[in-house]
Amino acid sequence: MITLLKYEIYRRWKWLVIRYAALIILGLIFFNRASASPMQYDIIAASMGKFFLISIIAFAIIIVEGINMLKEDLFESSGYLTFTLPKSERSILFAKNFLLFVQLFLWALVSIQFGTMFLKLLPLEEVSRYMAEIDLPVYPAILFVLTAFFNFVLMVQFSLTLTRTLLYRNKYSGIISVGIFFLLAYLIENFYYGPFLNQIKHAYIEIGTSSASNIDLLSGGYTAVFLNIILAIIFFTATAYLLENKINI
Amino acid sequence: MEFNNCSPIYLQIIDSIKQDVVVGKLKTGQKMPSVRELAGKIKVNPNTIQRVYQELEREKITFTKRGMGTYLTDEEKIIKLLEEEISDKIIQEFINGMNKLGFSNDKIIGILQEYL
Amino acid sequence: MEYILTTKQLSKYFYQKKALEKVDINIEKGKIYGILGPNGGGKSTLLKLAAGLLKPSGGEITIDNKNPGVYTKSIVSYLPEANYFYKWMKIRDALNFFKDFYDDFDMERARKSIEFMKLEEKEKITSLSKGMLGRLKLALALSRKAKLYLLDEPLNGIDPVSREKIITSILDAFNKKSTIIICSHLIYYIEKLLDYVFFLSEGQIILAGEAEDLRNKRGISIDRLYQEVFQ
Repeated sequence: MITLLKYEIYRRWKWLVIRYAALIILGLIFFNRASASPMQYDIIAASMGKFFLISIIAFAIIIVEGINMLKEDLFESSGYLTFTLPKSERSILFAKNFLLFVQLFLWALVSIQFGTMFLKLLPLEEVSRYMAEIDLPVYPAILFVLTAFFNFVLMVQFSLTLTRTLLYRNKYSGIISVGIFFLLAYLIENFYYGPFLNQIKHAYIEIGTSSASNIDLLSGGYTAVFLNIILAIIFFTATAYLLENKINI
Repeated sequence: MEFNNCSPIYLQIIDSIKQDVVVGKLKTGQKMPSVRELAGKIKVNPNTIQRVYQELEREKITFTKRGMGTYLTDEEKIIKLLEEEISDKIIQEFINGMNKLGFSNDKIIGILQEYL
Repeated sequence: MEYILTTKQLSKYFYQKKALEKVDINIEKGKIYGILGPNGGGKSTLLKLAAGLLKPSGGEITIDNKNPGVYTKSIVSYLPEANYFYKWMKIRDALNFFKDFYDDFDMERARKSIEFMKLEEKEKITSLSKGMLGRLKLALALSRKAKLYLLDEPLNGIDPVSREKIITSILDAFNKKSTIIICSHLIYYIEKLLDYVFFLSEGQIILAGEAEDLRNKRGISIDRLYQEVFQ
């Protein structure tokens, strides 16, 4: 697995360095601009907004790259090289997704760090008032978003693999995998998260009336993360199974 | 070494080597190239060359010195036998060819006398 | 007799198409085999099944008595017809890549082979011509000390000079502990290399035998025999 990971990194190391260096450098530049004008909230908000945009772009690049890592081996002739390596398909898939996970983690680390720095520039009272209104458990929410997007990539990978397994070289592969993806998303929304989200709604309504429910919502948030992790394992295993036993390259 | 793909290659190579011996291209007692060397030189499967050498050894045209390689025989009588074998073959082919064209054996003798 | 590759009633179907139909083959060690036949006849499919890229629809295939998997991939060197290199690689990267993943890779031999093929390590894969890619693929595949070499149309799109180099390389790689299987429809150039041939058409073996035997019995070259069989 280490060798696989080594090459996943090596082949794009320049891009990786540029990506995070740019994120950090631009973050510092915008932060400088913001902190240079302490009370001018419009400038601070503008800088914060620009950083937010850069951050989202970096995020999108990471996600798309995560999808392409598998897509190119499934649909291009480089698959002949990858899938004749004396490594299990599971470890090949794992190496790719491990890098994705590490990148999401790094991205989150940098973005949240800058986010916090920007927020500290804003008047404290406004921020706490803002936070209290939303009553959002921050860490579970962040973890939830991260794991949700990680799952997004895994689901796309599964859709692509399933399509490739069912249709050996078909021009409609792209459309069909998108179709499969949306079908899965719908199923998960309704049968997996649905019942759970209803519970969250009930808990939320209760919060309005009592104050001892922060803990509930907190644990509710972490439960959502846990559900995501289970889902991730399911999709990873399913994709690996298809790659090992059913697929024809 | 020229040969075609229409008849067993190993036989053709054996014939070619025998001819080379008779003609003197290969000196008696000379060391033969290794299986790999010869295979690489004439671009033929090494197993075929192996078969060639086995056959040559069987006919005592070559012998193997342990650890040193395969050598051409220097026994006079074997070389003589080879000469006879090859010339017999050529003559037989000639006679067959002429017969096919319609020349009787007597006529062949006559033509040869004139020619030579 | 120990076989390096065995298939029992091996079948492969792609929707409507029967690529292989109940094929039985035994491949011995230390020989060079030719699998000959028209395009779409099943040659590539058979090789891909042996390489572990395709899964059988029916029957079984074993390499060194094991089903295709991680172990067989470590002893099988597969040369596809397609250009399978990653676009980001230079030749040097490809060499290191093989060295990192394959224990049986001989770096020295590979470097000499690259030189012999008139290629330079610093060249980018994307800048290589089709002929150069063909030579590179072969140099790498044959620099592994594999038990089974699967060469799918190694001479396609290759100029005459390179062709001779490729044939020389194949002969150099030959040894008694390995087996080489070559798929080609350019029989004229490779028939002198072959111990045994299979004629594969429409998923079935229609003729098989030792090359020299076939020449002896039929009095014609394998090339000519092919033309007769597939007319």
